[in-house]
Amino acid sequence: MSTSTRNPIESLRDMENSRIGLYVVLLFGIVFYLFPMETAVMTMFKTQTEFVETVPFAPPSPDGFTLGALMTAWNTLRPGLVNSMLMAIPATIFSAMAGSLAAYGLTTISWRGQVAVFSIVLAGIFIPYQAVLVPLAQFWYQILPDLMNGFVNTAFGFITGGNWTYPTRSGHVQLLQLSITHAAYGTPMCTLLFRSYYKGISDEMIEAARLDGATAFSIYKNIILPLSLPMFAVTLIYQFTQVYNDLLFALVLVNEPASQVATQRLAALTGGVVQSFNTTMAGAIVAALPTLLVYIFFGEQFAKGVAE
Amino acid sequence: MAQLTLDDVTKIFHDDDEGEIVAVDEVSVDIEDGEFLCVVGPSGCGKSTTLRMIAGLEDISSGEIRLGGEVINDQPPAQRDVAMVFQSYALYPHMTVRENMAFGLEQSTDMSEEAIDQQVTEATDLLGIDDLIDRKPGELSGGQQQRVALGRAIVRDPEVFLMDEPLANLDAKLRAEMRTELQHLQERLGVTTVYVTHDQTEAMTMSDRIAILNDGILQQAATPLECYHEPNNMFVAGFIGEPSMNFFDVERQGSTLVADDFEYDLSEETARELGDKTDLTLGIRPEDIEVIDSQSGRHDYEGVVDVVEPRGSENTVHMMFDTSDSATFIATVDGMRDIDWGQHVTVRFPEEAIHVFDTKTGEAVRNRKLDSVEKVEPVV
Repeated sequence: MSTSTRNPIESLRDMENSRIGLYVVLLFGIVFYLFPMETAVMTMFKTQTEFVETVPFAPPSPDGFTLGALMTAWNTLRPGLVNSMLMAIPATIFSAMAGSLAAYGLTTISWRGQVAVFSIVLAGIFIPYQAVLVPLAQFWYQILPDLMNGFVNTAFGFITGGNWTYPTRSGHVQLLQLSITHAAYGTPMCTLLFRSYYKGISDEMIEAARLDGATAFSIYKNIILPLSLPMFAVTLIYQFTQVYNDLLFALVLVNEPASQVATQRLAALTGGVVQSFNTTMAGAIVAALPTLLVYIFFGEQFAKGVAE
Repeated sequence: MAQLTLDDVTKIFHDDDEGEIVAVDEVSVDIEDGEFLCVVGPSGCGKSTTLRMIAGLEDISSGEIRLGGEVINDQPPAQRDVAMVFQSYALYPHMTVRENMAFGLEQSTDMSEEAIDQQVTEATDLLGIDDLIDRKPGELSGGQQQRVALGRAIVRDPEVFLMDEPLANLDAKLRAEMRTELQHLQERLGVTTVYVTHDQTEAMTMSDRIAILNDGILQQAATPLECYHEPNNMFVAGFIGEPSMNFFDVERQGSTLVADDFEYDLSEETARELGDKTDLTLGIRPEDIEVIDSQSGRHDYEGVVDVVEPRGSENTVHMMFDTSDSATFIATVDGMRDIDWGQHVTVRFPEEAIHVFDTKTGEAVRNRKLDSVEKVEPVV
């Protein structure tokens, strides 16, 4: 056979055009997506001088290697990472559960006016976060505290003596408020995702369950919920990424340093007077870690849920 | 006793564009305890809607449905003591066969786990699916899924089985097998059954009685043979029987029916039956047309063979009269008989086999005589 004697030029000439096209596209993919990643990782391990002296994507030399930037970034971000988890995980789970239940009620059960209700829910997706910042802050910092103060001091005045005040300044309360806000704003999108999924579930199967004597909630619990697991993976990943990456609501609702979330800490890390690229890169990588892990662990179900 | 009665049952759908649509129009039928009734008709005739009203999946616009004398119009599906088998089987994909079958009992009764398990086992034994009990629907063939769907209905031990084209998704051979099996099963369990199908063969072969629907109106409810030989109207005559009955527009002139291609002499007796109607349709079943060699009687006509469809046991022969642009009609002849395209033959329309319908109303004026039907006396 002549294969063994063929030179690279010959084999390149024999290659199909489509294959060449594929490689060109893949090459672009590498340049656009992987180079920045690689550069970030390399920069993270370089000293400041090494960074200035070498090309960004080159690996650090033995002298210029340091873990200092990573340590600084980790120490700065660590409390933020914990806060982010405490805030994002419950918000994500709540959005997914509420979205699933709402979608079930709006799709599988039929009742008058459900189209109108769904339209309102749908409209919730399109409200820009910036548009609600002021009313949102007013709600958490004025309206709710006033209401709570009035209620608690009236109903339980015999205990509080009328001196109770809503703990607006408490870091934990602020984090909880942020979590609730995200849960509420994530629910419409989750409802939409679940609704399109539930529309594909056979009507006859639901009718069979009704004939079997199942109540509306029993149908949800025994049939709809087990069948929605792939969709839960999709909404959990999507919603977690959204909530975790948000900075805007966090800036407005959380001002206690101890309760700051990862994105706020990252902003603080990079916002100094002197731009140190190595700590910036290290911070970005550390902050991105949880979302990366979520994709790795739920990726398969995610693909299933999207494909179905 | 579980006699199921439909009394002037009507279903009206309200549509924004087209206004009111009457899907089922005052259908009344009595289904005896243990009877197997097939509801048959073309797509959109209201047969599935009727079934869904019995099941409680659709509201009844007017009329009454009674089960064992009790009006069940407003009872929710679960309380009606009916079980339904769907065309798509509608099995729960995440549950095993056992769980699928037990679900109804778990939801609607407070039976103990052992009792439920026993009932499920009995049903799976009966259907011969006891080795599939721990599999999920996705791992079963169409025929097996069909059995599980049946099992899910049987295990509930209901007063009435409702089946919505349960065999439509099976291949022809399996369908024929399941047809027999379903009949056996129904006889054995003795449960009143309402079976919806668009397939007249299924209806003919399985049921004690057939209810034929068209445009939401009940055309006839009778035994298969009655529907076949004594149809109420042209729709029933044309719908039941494969290949369908031949129809010829005729005008009555004295004691003769005059068609475009032939004239048909009537005997005095038949003429009397027709009364004074003149605008008529002559109907004759393909197997009643005799294909003979030479002309000898007064109901013999010249015919030319157009297409022959061999079916093994018989040949379906499409024919024309020996005139230019004549109507085509179908005759069935013995499978062993040698008959070819273009062949000139004589066809005979025996008078005892003809049906005559009023063309305007479609109603049967005269049906074939059943004197010639052989009766097999049971051996004592």
